[in-house]
Parts: sequence; C-alpha cells; structure tokens
Amino acid sequence: MLITCPYCGPRDVSEFAYQGDGNRSRPDPSSTDLAAWNAYVYDRLNPAGAHNEIWQHAGGCRAHLAVVRDTLSHEISSVRFAREKGAPAHGRRKSGAKP
Amino acid sequence: MVEQLSPLAAVFRPGSHGNFVDGVGVTLSEMAPGSIVQLAAWPGEEKKLIAAITSLTGLKLADGAGAGAASERHTVFGFAPGKFLLTDTAEGLVSAAGVVTPAMGTITDLSHGRTAIRVAGPRSEWVLAKLFAVDFSLVAFPQGSGISTAHHDIFAQIQRSGPDRFDLYVFRSFARSFWKMLCHASDEVGYEVR
Amino acid sequence: MSPRRRPSGGRIDRLRTIRFTFDGTAFTGHQGDTLASALLANGVSLFGRSFKYHRPRGLLTAGVDEPNALVTVLRGDVREPNIPATMVEIHDGLVAVSQNRFPSLAYDVSAVNQLGGKVLSAGFYYKTFMGPVVGPLKGTRFWMLCEKIIRRAAGLGRAGHAPDTARYERMNAFCDVLVVGSGPAGLAAAREAAASGANVILAELDPQFGGSANWSGETIDGEPAAAWASDIVGELRDQANVRLLKRTTVWGYYDDNTLAAVERVSDHKASPAKGAPRHRHWTIRAGKVVLATGAFERPLVFPGNDRPGVVMASAAQRYANEFGVLPGDKVAVFTNNDSAYRSAVALNNAGATVATIVDVRAEISEECHTLARQCGAELIVGHAVTATEGGKKLTGIKLAPFTEAAGALSSGARSVEADCLLMSGGWSPTIHLASQAGARPLWDAELQAFLPPEAGKGWVGAGAFNGTFSTAQAIAEGFAAGRVAADLAMVEIGTLPDVEPAALDPRPAPVFEIRAKGKSFVDFQHDVTSDDVRLAHIEGFVSVEHLKRYTTLGMATDQGKGSNVPGLAIMAEALGKPIPEVGTTRFRPPYAPVSVGALAAERFGDLKPERLTPMHDWHLDNEATMYSAGLWFRPMIYGGPGETIEQAYVREARVTRETAGIVDVSTLGKIAVQGPDAAELLDRAYSNVFSTLPVGKARYGLMLREDGLVFDDGTTWRLGDNDFLMTTTTANAGKVMQHLEYFLDVVWPDLKVHLTSVTDQWAGAAIGGPKAREILAACVTGTKVDNEALPFMGIVHGEIAGAPVMICRLSFSGEMAFEVYSGAGHGIHVWEALIEAGQPFGMVPYGLEALGTMRIEKGHVTGAEIDGRTSARDLHLGWMLSRKKPFIGSAMMDREGLVASGRLELVGLVSLDNRPLSGGAHIVEDVDMDNPHGSLGHITAACFSPALEKYIALALVADGKARHGKRAHVSDPLRDRFGPVEIVSHHFFDPEGKRMHG
Repeated sequence: MLITCPYCGPRDVSEFAYQGDGNRSRPDPSSTDLAAWNAYVYDRLNPAGAHNEIWQHAGGCRAHLAVVRDTLSHEISSVRFAREKGAPAHGRRKSGAKP
Repeated sequence: MVEQLSPLAAVFRPGSHGNFVDGVGVTLSEMAPGSIVQLAAWPGEEKKLIAAITSLTGLKLADGAGAGAASERHTVFGFAPGKFLLTDTAEGLVSAAGVVTPAMGTITDLSHGRTAIRVAGPRSEWVLAKLFAVDFSLVAFPQGSGISTAHHDIFAQIQRSGPDRFDLYVFRSFARSFWKMLCHASDEVGYEVR
Repeated sequence: MSPRRRPSGGRIDRLRTIRFTFDGTAFTGHQGDTLASALLANGVSLFGRSFKYHRPRGLLTAGVDEPNALVTVLRGDVREPNIPATMVEIHDGLVAVSQNRFPSLAYDVSAVNQLGGKVLSAGFYYKTFMGPVVGPLKGTRFWMLCEKIIRRAAGLGRAGHAPDTARYERMNAFCDVLVVGSGPAGLAAAREAAASGANVILAELDPQFGGSANWSGETIDGEPAAAWASDIVGELRDQANVRLLKRTTVWGYYDDNTLAAVERVSDHKASPAKGAPRHRHWTIRAGKVVLATGAFERPLVFPGNDRPGVVMASAAQRYANEFGVLPGDKVAVFTNNDSAYRSAVALNNAGATVATIVDVRAEISEECHTLARQCGAELIVGHAVTATEGGKKLTGIKLAPFTEAAGALSSGARSVEADCLLMSGGWSPTIHLASQAGARPLWDAELQAFLPPEAGKGWVGAGAFNGTFSTAQAIAEGFAAGRVAADLAMVEIGTLPDVEPAALDPRPAPVFEIRAKGKSFVDFQHDVTSDDVRLAHIEGFVSVEHLKRYTTLGMATDQGKGSNVPGLAIMAEALGKPIPEVGTTRFRPPYAPVSVGALAAERFGDLKPERLTPMHDWHLDNEATMYSAGLWFRPMIYGGPGETIEQAYVREARVTRETAGIVDVSTLGKIAVQGPDAAELLDRAYSNVFSTLPVGKARYGLMLREDGLVFDDGTTWRLGDNDFLMTTTTANAGKVMQHLEYFLDVVWPDLKVHLTSVTDQWAGAAIGGPKAREILAACVTGTKVDNEALPFMGIVHGEIAGAPVMICRLSFSGEMAFEVYSGAGHGIHVWEALIEAGQPFGMVPYGLEALGTMRIEKGHVTGAEIDGRTSARDLHLGWMLSRKKPFIGSAMMDREGLVASGRLELVGLVSLDNRPLSGGAHIVEDVDMDNPHGSLGHITAACFSPALEKYIALALVADGKARHGKRAHVSDPLRDRFGPVEIVSHHFFDPEGKRMHG
C-alpha cells in the first residue's frame, strides 16, 4: 500500500504509523461529560468501505495525515495534512516519472 | 574547543573494500560539518524563514517541498513542512542564526545529534535503493533537494548533493550501526572509505 | 556425450562440462543444463518419492510448475529442501539429494503405503489426528507421538539445523512499466514500451529470456524464434531506461502496483561473487504491469499417470529443443488437443521414435493427421490411455476405445510399448498474479480454461496469459500491451509477424479424466487422486475452497499450477454443475516458493539496527556486561574478576551510597519543546503544572493517557521562556514524541510549538552519592555547584575539561545527585574527566542493576509499574494530579473503576526468609503449593538491598497501602519459590529525602 504524503510524495505504508480513527472528536478539555469522553476514547467506527483515518508519516516528515481509505480495497481516495482542515491534497513527486 | 568524537571511529576503515576489481562503485565518507541546525517556521512564516536562510548563507531556495541548495560552506534543504536542515562547515551556527526571530520559528542545534555521511559514486543509487524504499532517480529526486525517510527504525534525512552524490543525516546513536549496513550493502559494488 | 543428448541445439554449451552429484553419485552435464535436464541426459528417470504413498516419481514438467522432482540442495551443512530439479541450474560442485525416501530412492520402505490407499485418502489428517475421545488413551500424549511418526513418513524434504550463512539482500525499484515474462508477448511489450522512453523492468524467472521462443521451434519473420528473441533482448540491453532481470520470479502482486520478486543471483554459481547476495529480493513499484506470464500445460487424469516416464508434451518438447535431451527413445502421446502433435514432431525431429498418438477425440483436423504422418506415428483417435505399465519406469501403456460425449470406455483394450508418454490435457493461462491483484477469472468454454478479465486497473495482459496461443497474435498483443502500459496512443501493429509453422486450433476436447481402475492423480505433489476429490464430495463438501483445504488439492509447493483446473472439473462433474458455477480459488502470494532468507534479508544478526550511547566503547573497555534495552545497549554491571551479578550490583550501589557512583543516562528520551506555546502544551500534556516553572529549573512531571491511566514520567527543564528540554523514560521516548506530535497536529494545531528529538544531541552522565558535589566541584569550571548556585532541581551551565556542559541537580538514586549533559560528540571526553575527578573519592561506574536497586530502595516507579493498567493513585502519585487545569487524561482519571477499592497499589515487600524475590511472582495471603490461587497482586521488581541488607521488592497488591505491616507470601510455582514476606511502604530508604536534598 502506498500513501501519498502531501509533502513527501507516494511512500510505502511501512513508513507510516496508523494513529487511529479520524472520526473522533475530542470533547472540550474542561467537559465533564463522561459519556462524551467515553465515546471519544473507546468508540470506533469499523466501516466496510470508506473510512476516515489518521496516519503519521513517522518514517518521513512526521506530519499527521487525514486519509480516506477504503477498508475493502485499501484504495485511498484522499490525503491531506491533518492540521489543515479541509485543505486539498496536493501531490509532490511521481515515482519513476518520465523525464 | 574540544573536538567532536565521531561515532564511526571504531568502524571507520579508510581504503578500498568489497568487490572493487572492476572499480569502486561508491565512496563513503563522514562529512563532519561544524554545525547542523534545524530551522522550523510557524505556519505562514515559511517564506520569511527562507529569506532569513538566504540572508544567513547566501543560498537561494525554491519555495517547494524538499527544496535545497548548497555552497562550499553551507547546505540546506527542506525535510518536512516548514522545516529545514542547515549545515555549516564552521562551528557555532546556532548562535549566529539570530536572524531567525521567535516570531518566525525556532532553531534547534543538532550538531552533536546527527551524523552526516556522504555516499558518492556511480553506484550510489543502487546502494541506497537497498536501504530505503524511495526513488533515487534524478527525475524523482532532483539535485539539491532533500527527503525524510527511514531504514527500519533509523531515520534519515537525505540531500542529493550531486548527480551521483547523496548526503545522509542519521541519528548519532544509530550512526555506527547504519555505517555497518551501508558498508555491507556496498560490498557488492566495491567501496572506498575516505 | 550421453546417448540421450542430441549432438546440437538448445541453450547448452556442449564444450563446457560440469560435474555435480545427485544422491552421492557423480554426474556430468553441460553449461546451461538444469539438474533435471542433466540427469535426464544421464538416463535418470526416478527423481523422487511421492508425498503420501511414496510412489516413484519422475519429471513431469520442465519448469516452475514441476510437482514431482523436488530435491534438496546442500550447500555445506545448509540444506535447502523442496527445490524443483527443473529450477536448479547445475554448476561445478553442486550437491543435490532426493527426498522423502528411506533408505534410498530406489528402495523405499515406505512405499508400502501404496497398499493403504483407502486409509490415507482425503481428510486423512482430520480424521486421524482427532486423538481418542474415549478409552484408556484419552487425554494422553500417545496420539501426539503417533502424529510425529506419521508426519515423518509423509512429507517433503527435511530442513536443516545449520545456520544459513548465505547473504540475502533487499532492493527497491521504481518503473513506469514492469513486464512479467519474456516470451514473445513480453518481449514485444518491453520493446514497445521502452521505445517510448519509459522506464521498463523486464523480469524473467528462467535463466534465459525468450520463454517459448527458446523451444517452440518456430520461426518469426524467417528467423528462428530463439534468435528473434535474443535480438530483442540485445536491443533492450543497450537501452539505459531498461532493466533486465533474469532468474527473477515475480511472486506477489500487492496494493498500488507494488510487486514482490526474488532474483536468484548466485544459485547457479559454485560461489557468489564477492559481496554478491545469493538471493536479492525486489520490491518493485510499477506504474503499469504487463502480465505476459504464459500458460501451463495441464495433465490428463488417468490411472498410473504419475509413473516415471509420463511427461507433459510441451515439457518433452522443451527438453528436446531447449536442452538437447530426449526424455525417451520410444515415445507415445496421449492428448485431448492439437498442441501435443507439434511436440510429437519435435521429439521425432530430435531423434526419438514416436510410436503412437492416442487422441480422445474421434475426429481431428487435417493438420493433425499431417503432423502424425510427419512423425511416423500410429494415430489412434477416439481412444484413451487406461493404465501405464512398468515399475519405477514406464515400459508401456494400455488403451481402450473412448467416447468423448459419454466420457466412457468400451471394450477393445490393447497395449503399446513405450518408455515415454507425452500427455496434454489442454492449457491453463498463468493468471496467478492477476488473481492476486483481485481479478476474477472467467471460464472460457472454448479453451476450457480460466482466463483473466479484460484488464485490471494496474495491469494489462498479453499472449498465452490471455488465452492467445498463436505466437503471431501474442506478439501483436504484446505490442499493444506495451503501448497501453507506457501510456501511448493505440496504433495498429500493421502486418502481423510471419510465424511458421502456423498456429493450430487451441481448443481442447472437454476431457479431464479417464475413469478406470487405479490411482489417477490430480495433484501429484500432494498425492491427491480423483477418488479423493469425489470422496470429499460424498462427504458433503460443496465449496471449492473447502475442497481445496480438505483434500489439500493445490496446496503443495507448486500451488496447483497443473492440478487446479482438472481438480475443479472433477468436482464440478461430481456436483453435476458446470465448471464456472463451481468457480475457482483465488491465488495467493507467493506464486512460487520464496527463500526465507530473501524475506528476512538484512534484518537479523549484525545488520539489526542498534543504538549506542557516546560512552559505549568506554563501557566495553571497562568490563561492562551490556544488555539490550529496546534497540539501545546499556551496561548491566561493571563486573570485577570472579564477581557474580548480584555481588557486582550490590558493590556498585553500596559504594554509590557511601561515596559516589556514575551512570550513563544518555538513553533517556529527550525532546526539545520550543515556541511561545511550549509551556501551554506542557500544562496540557503533564498532570502537573509547568507554566510556573522558572527558567533554569527542572520539574518532575507525570503524563496520563486519554483514558486516565499513567503513560510516562520524567523531568522537564526550562532552558528559556519558550524553550524546554523534556526527558522521558528510555523505553517510551518514541511513544511520548508521537503522543505529543499527535496532539499538536490533530487536536491543537493552533498551538505554536515545535518538537524535536534531541536524544542523540546530548550525552548524559548521572553522578550521585555523598561525594558527588565535591567531585563535580573538582572538575567543573565556569559555574559554582554549591547549594546556592545549584539547589535541588536547579540547572547551571559550565565547562568540564573545556567542553560545555549543562548540569541539573536531580536524583533517581535518592542520593545527592547531578545529571551532567554535554554534546554527544564530547560525551566520552566529559565522562572520562568525571571519572578522573571521582578517582580520589573511590567513585565507581554503575550499571542498570545498581540503578534499579537504588530506585527500588527509593520506591521510584518505572515501566514495570507504569504498565498501562495503573493509575496515578495506584502509584501514590495522586499528589501530581493538578485540580487547577484540565490535562490529557484528567476527564477520565476519576472514573468509577479507577477510584474503586481493591485496586492494585504500589507497595514494598521484604523477604522474611532471606531468599531472593523475583519479578512476576504472585502475592497471596496463604500459600497452597498444590493449588496456587488467590493472587493479591504481583512483584514488579526485586533486588538485594545493600542499604537494608535484605531481599526486597516492589509489588502491586490489592489495597496495598492498607496492608502495610502485614505478612503475606510469595507464590511462584513456575520457579518453585514460596515464602513469607512483609508488606511495607514502597519508600524503603530515606523516606524523607534528606540525602538528596543534602
């Protein structure tokens, strides 16, 4: 599997670390709503199909990426920096590109 | 100043090794720059940081991922969003880098923390392809540019400093282990250590 | 030259003689021979014994699909079993032995298994290895012993025990177009793609490019096909954008067009070139893949079809044309299709007598009649072979009239003498890689074969892979595939190449099995017969996936390359369904066996990454016994002559508490936390407050996970307003870094903080003991180190022996202690200066054992207690949980279960029987040695305490604090250690901390 890091270009999955379900939203830090915290810490989606995931390019630029991956086909339909909400993915290098 | 001791000292054996009957495939050397620093810009401040690098070193950087440049004295390249590795043959760069203001970003001294290894020669791409799952062809990895990658647990930041020359920056604690791997991988093509 | 060897032709070099041994007998062959072709030329026909029945077996094929002729290749003491003799290139000194026979290949005692056919039928293992469920042997190990003996009798080659000293390597490659297979289609594709400038890799599993061109006997545009192929290879070799990989098996097709291949670099040589690997593993990322992998001829299923001398027709042709060796003198042919006629002619041209051609079809084409006449064979149509004769070698065949439509035999049997039977049951395209890539094969009723779908997302097919058996058409498809793969506009090839002789009709008769008395093999390697397939059906198996697993059909090392389709056809017939409804199994990697060495490559032994501190060599030079802590190597003890480990660490700890000791702490994780929001991040990440920490001071911090349990601890030093140096435990350095990076990137992207791993930037030496300050004062310049200049948790900057240092006064040992940090490149220099300064005081270096001992005496926690299940309160660190601010874990740390009574809490234990305690032992109220139970908790760390002169331990015990002063017992049945202990506070030594505050 390859993940196209917006900074580094397509890299082998072995350079990346899975950092969990990208659908989680952290409650306000001062929230005491235990159910909300419980959902954030423990509840995970397990869809057969497109899934929002967070991957860190741990063996590369170390940026966290918001990845949409199909759990059935491993096909990745979008990648962006996790810190840039909604920013489009922009590729960098094409492996083995012709001169 | 006290000299830095190389982590490679115990395994650094100058001379020709491996299968060099048909010539030396790669030359391996330790660069030992006086200074290695990391410059990191806050989001939106990247251009100012690049300008500061230019004013400090005279090197011009393109605005793009992995862009890099080199002179006799300095090398610089981007290895992560807003982050650059800058070297100087002289020591003390971290204090001279005052042109990078806190509003722009941060400076981190890595002069002791990273070991710089140069792999040069006609078989450089071949040898490095054994260690890293990245495309080292000139098209995918243009001269001057840099990348971040890893060999197993060993992080490496690599700059292409010539058509068949690569400068690798690895964590110092891994440097000896990595050097041994590099020599092992170079055996087949013949290598010279100098 | 042997009588079976033709005087000329093929890829072998008759001027170069090669000597090798097989089963201890010396043989010769020629450069270019495989072990199979060389032995065949020497008249060897018996190559192995079969898996279950120990039946004699010979060569069935000439290539990677060989199921029978598996051998073990010996390289010194290293054994490599289960290599098809067809894939072993001979070289001087090659030593190969046959397998699965005792005492010898010719006289194998286990051949008696052939008489037990009914017992050893499908599902034998499942039925047999259940073990007795009633009776006197129930629940005993008797059955496991039986299983061992039975398993030894059945099977393949034996693996060795000697370490494999060969070199293996991994390689990464990137290309626009990967062409798999170098037959006419693959060569045409590679040539076309390369001409456009694309980066092309051409992979061929054989030692020679060309595929069928090497043995088809065809001419292409007036030139012999082999010469046509070598011309193209010559052209490609000169192009800089082409990489030619021969002896390279592409074995796996993974996501995103990542393909795995193994190149056999040195197996064909007596010894590898200096530094060259034996196998090189390639990970290839291709823009597009051209699959030109050809097709396998499949066997016909009839009684005795496994007797040595029965060989695939195309394989016989290949031996004759490519290797110049005849598999027999008097040849018979049994076929359901036209292609075998060409093979018969090839053998005849090579000097064999073709006695008979038996065709299941009643009517055959005029071309076939002509070809039969051409080779002088008696043509017997509408007949089938019903048995083979001979012992370990074919002497003749029996045939009978056969009606294709009914699949039935009728009377009128006759015999024919032959020492070689060529069989052909049609062709199966080699769709394995496409199947791995997710393609669902389609059944083609005309070709009686599974074909790949039109094309996949990442690949395009050409030639026999597509079911295109005409060489001219295959070249045209290769041309087109090369253009598609290189992203070129499609153009017509123009005129097709002129291939002679013209292609024959590729459609076989839909006949897979001749049902007659005797064992008819479907899967030769796993000894699966057609009756086994039917038995599986009778026993209720309907899915092909179940059939495969129950009968083990297609699960041998050849992965059913020849047996898959006949097996399915027989199952379909038993089910009364057409083949496409029964479906096929999905092929999985690897396409062909891959050496474990190639997969492991540089990831073991000396080439495993290791991390060394700047003082590593000093430790080694000073008698340190090192051990690994993750990837790091750290001193365990500095053992004196004749000292035990315990004596060494007790001495080191005692001297440290009496005078001073020094320890290498460079492995501690160190993270530079920089930026205007650095203090804010630390307040959020740590359970206690850091924003109030003054510059020049350090503070001990505790981190929780989001779920409220303890994550890590360490000290963080404020070096400037916006500049902190965080330390973490050695083991958690990477995790803490990742944890903080995650929050900065994903949760709080608006915080202006940069994190950098600076673990390797600093060498750290911790010097502690009553004399530590004096020692430091003796060697530090540029700063004072007295209580005023350097109070507890204070930081100063100075120099030691000319090298800049940063000193923080903090203590893990409980003594007055200082951590001295210098640039890693100055580490040894500073360390040696400290050692020298300590000498007059009798300071000792100490290792992790003494470090652990002193921390146990102080009741400090480490990873053994921070085990992912303990809360801060469990560890008596509740005082570090700030109530003034939220932090990671604060919302979850007071959950019901985390504040309930009965939780395991940190306590100290003192051994009351003066015997050592050990980690992992359980704590119980009362010992019951026969039935250990009632665990209250467990020991996390133990040592002999020189300060207390007792064996002590830290433990996690239910309601531990309430048990202080009470007696309990250790219960450690694994190590047979039971005994009384007293539960005490975890602060064994100097609980008020007078010593470190000095």
